[in-house]
Amino acid sequence: MSVQPAMPKSWRMDTKPHKFCPGCGHGLVLKALGMAIDELGIQDRAVFGCDIGCSLLSWDFFNVDSIQTHHGRTTPVITGLKRANPNLIGIAYMGDGGGYAIGSQHLVNAAARNERITAILVNNTQYGMTGGQMAPTTLPGQKTETTPYGRDPEKTGYPVQGPEMVAAITREGSYVARGTIANLNQLKGYIKKALQNQIEGNGFSFVEVLSACPTNWRTNAEETWNMVEKEMPKFFKVGEIKVPGAGKEGQENG
Amino acid sequence: MADKPIEGEKRVFMTGNEVVAWAALAAKAEIMYGYPITPQNEIMHYWTRMAPKFGREFLQTEDELSAGFTTAGGVLAGRKAFTATAGPGNTLMQEPMSMAEAMRLPVVVVVQQRGGPSTATVIYSQQEVTMTTMGGNGEGLRVVYSTATHQELFDYTIKAFNTAWKYRFPTFVLGDGYQAKMRESLTIYDPEARGVTLLPAEAYLGKPGTPGVDRPPAQYRNTYNVEEELYEVLQGYFKDYEKMAPEIAEFDAFDTEDADLVVISHGVVSRAAKGAVKELRAAGYKVGYFRPITLRPLPVKELRALGGRTKQFLVAESANGQLARLLKEAAYGCPVEMLPMYKPGVGITTEEVVARVKEIAG
Amino acid sequence: MEAYIGEYASGKSEVAVNRALQLARLGRRVNLVDLDIVEPCYTLRPIKRKLRDLGIDVLAWETRETMGLGEAGNILRPGNRWALRRPGDVILDIGYGVEGAKTLHLLEGAETDPDLKVLAVINIARPVTGSLPDIIAYVRELGRVDGLINNSHLGDETTVEFVQEGAAVVTAAARELNLPVAATTVLAGLAREIGPQDAVGNPVWPITRYMPETFW
Repeated sequence: MSVQPAMPKSWRMDTKPHKFCPGCGHGLVLKALGMAIDELGIQDRAVFGCDIGCSLLSWDFFNVDSIQTHHGRTTPVITGLKRANPNLIGIAYMGDGGGYAIGSQHLVNAAARNERITAILVNNTQYGMTGGQMAPTTLPGQKTETTPYGRDPEKTGYPVQGPEMVAAITREGSYVARGTIANLNQLKGYIKKALQNQIEGNGFSFVEVLSACPTNWRTNAEETWNMVEKEMPKFFKVGEIKVPGAGKEGQENG
Repeated sequence: MADKPIEGEKRVFMTGNEVVAWAALAAKAEIMYGYPITPQNEIMHYWTRMAPKFGREFLQTEDELSAGFTTAGGVLAGRKAFTATAGPGNTLMQEPMSMAEAMRLPVVVVVQQRGGPSTATVIYSQQEVTMTTMGGNGEGLRVVYSTATHQELFDYTIKAFNTAWKYRFPTFVLGDGYQAKMRESLTIYDPEARGVTLLPAEAYLGKPGTPGVDRPPAQYRNTYNVEEELYEVLQGYFKDYEKMAPEIAEFDAFDTEDADLVVISHGVVSRAAKGAVKELRAAGYKVGYFRPITLRPLPVKELRALGGRTKQFLVAESANGQLARLLKEAAYGCPVEMLPMYKPGVGITTEEVVARVKEIAG
Repeated sequence: MEAYIGEYASGKSEVAVNRALQLARLGRRVNLVDLDIVEPCYTLRPIKRKLRDLGIDVLAWETRETMGLGEAGNILRPGNRWALRRPGDVILDIGYGVEGAKTLHLLEGAETDPDLKVLAVINIARPVTGSLPDIIAYVRELGRVDGLINNSHLGDETTVEFVQEGAAVVTAAARELNLPVAATTVLAGLAREIGPQDAVGNPVWPITRYMPETFW
């Protein structure tokens, strides 16, 4: 007899166990998202769009209408959908390559236009599905398949500060936060607020999530958590960066 | 808010871009997504002026990738959505259109061809035939109407929405810079008053009910695990496409029965070809006129019949053989000889076609 | 000094060219100024030399002087900014629509010159100006307008009846707007049938079509 782990109601049971690697952060992010969908009661009008890269494996993850798009193009697909039917709750789910590299113009412009959608970007510091190449979020000195001697910021720049950028180009009404899989309750709270912000029609909502890719990092459990909890936060500060109606913006944007 | 953009019928004088905007309104298009590029800009200018009066929407995107993908999003939400582009914008548009092919999304795209390759000219060409019929990484699972007059721009823009929603392949109206900017008169009309049924749009995502409770979730993907899986999906698509092809293929022809030479052209060049063939016939030349209206799918049966009984085709186009390449494939094995009259990025006049035919006839 | 403004493809340039030629034929010194910075085709550039040979000073680019026309933007020719200071009559052909009408502000002296008349060209076959209320709403959007021109036509299909219908509607709009109708413009052949005045009493200016030669 096996014990069923607690799963959000909005998860699609017949596609579980999910398709991600053991230790992958996606399952945790999608759990937080599932709980947020459940708590807000929006399973009937949420539309989930996933990018290409490992995020594409989530195309049948929920009992939610879902669309798998192209690499970097989830933001415009969900934008177009939301513009055409504002009653839907549009969720654009992507990785750091999709959001900060190939689709960065879409993220920037959707944010600047204050599109009423929720973008969730999973930051695992490299390209997982294509085999562990450097991403815009790769840490200085981090070894990847295209930085075999470690990322040299002189040649390839520093990690992209995504939420800080989004906060800088959005106005009052947008919600911007950076969560982590190391604090699932907090992450669920951020995602829930990001969805609530869309439901209220305030503006663009963006949550970056610090996540783990033990497969491409080639890390054991201890090293994985060390990366997520100690190394990544050196460059990526966890917290809310912009909250509508707060009367003040977060310290990061201060 | 006004109910119908066009009551009954009206004879008007317009530019081609403006015609497209009116036709989209008449076809009950609900939302346009677009990015500026000459020579299609006035489609957006007129749409944005008129759309709010009829409860229609517009979004100016950050580029043509976004214009194409937002249009796909609009269709997924169950709205009649369209975009318009040209040249380098059409190049970017091919990525979203490959997704539309993969997911059978009834996206409508109006293309006003300009010179190429690259930025080239904003003026005119027929150099986007290969890209519009076969662009993207895929198999050309799309419909392309090539128009020649403002009346056709109006008629086929309306038809494009019906074709797209009936067969669920992305559908293009292929115009050009001349048609975009030219002014001529035409009759605009309410299609329903003429008995044309406008097919309703239907949502792919966000239908009533809770997924997994009241109904299965609607989930669409474009990535497959194994070759066989993709192969099987594509076989279904090809079958649908082949079944559709003879139902939608259109052409225009005259004086081909006894012709030794048939001038084949498409789009705005066919106006010159038509004039030339009439003039040459009057002068006693055994010459005919054939014009595919659908470039994809081509009217293959008619072309093969023609290629079987005609000695020569003169292919006149403002490109370096892009139409000819399609014709050669369609008429493969037919005894007809194909002669080129290629003027890439440059217009072709009646006089030039007449002179070329006389030169061939000796 | 006259400035021709109006809806896209209403016939501004055609009317302006014909007006310039009409004045030149009277032996007057005429400057014809291309101020269309919106539309890269159907402008005066291609017939610049021909008009010059007919005795008109044409202030316009040469097409080959322009680079990436319509792509790099339509650059305002610096000399045109000072057009109102030129000796002789000045006919301004101004780019289309409401944004086009604002182009007038780019000219030195446009706000203060007491001799400048701004004429809006109306064709009732253009759906945006297809009815009485549409014309009134449209002209009100244009900003300063000193008079209307009835240029109603259907290209090659134009009939006397259509021109007269245009005259009636445009004149009714002008009354509502408290503006004069400067003229009904009509192709020379039809103008002979109509006579010196249209059915409502507006002067008829016979015109010849030059613009089909100007397509790029």
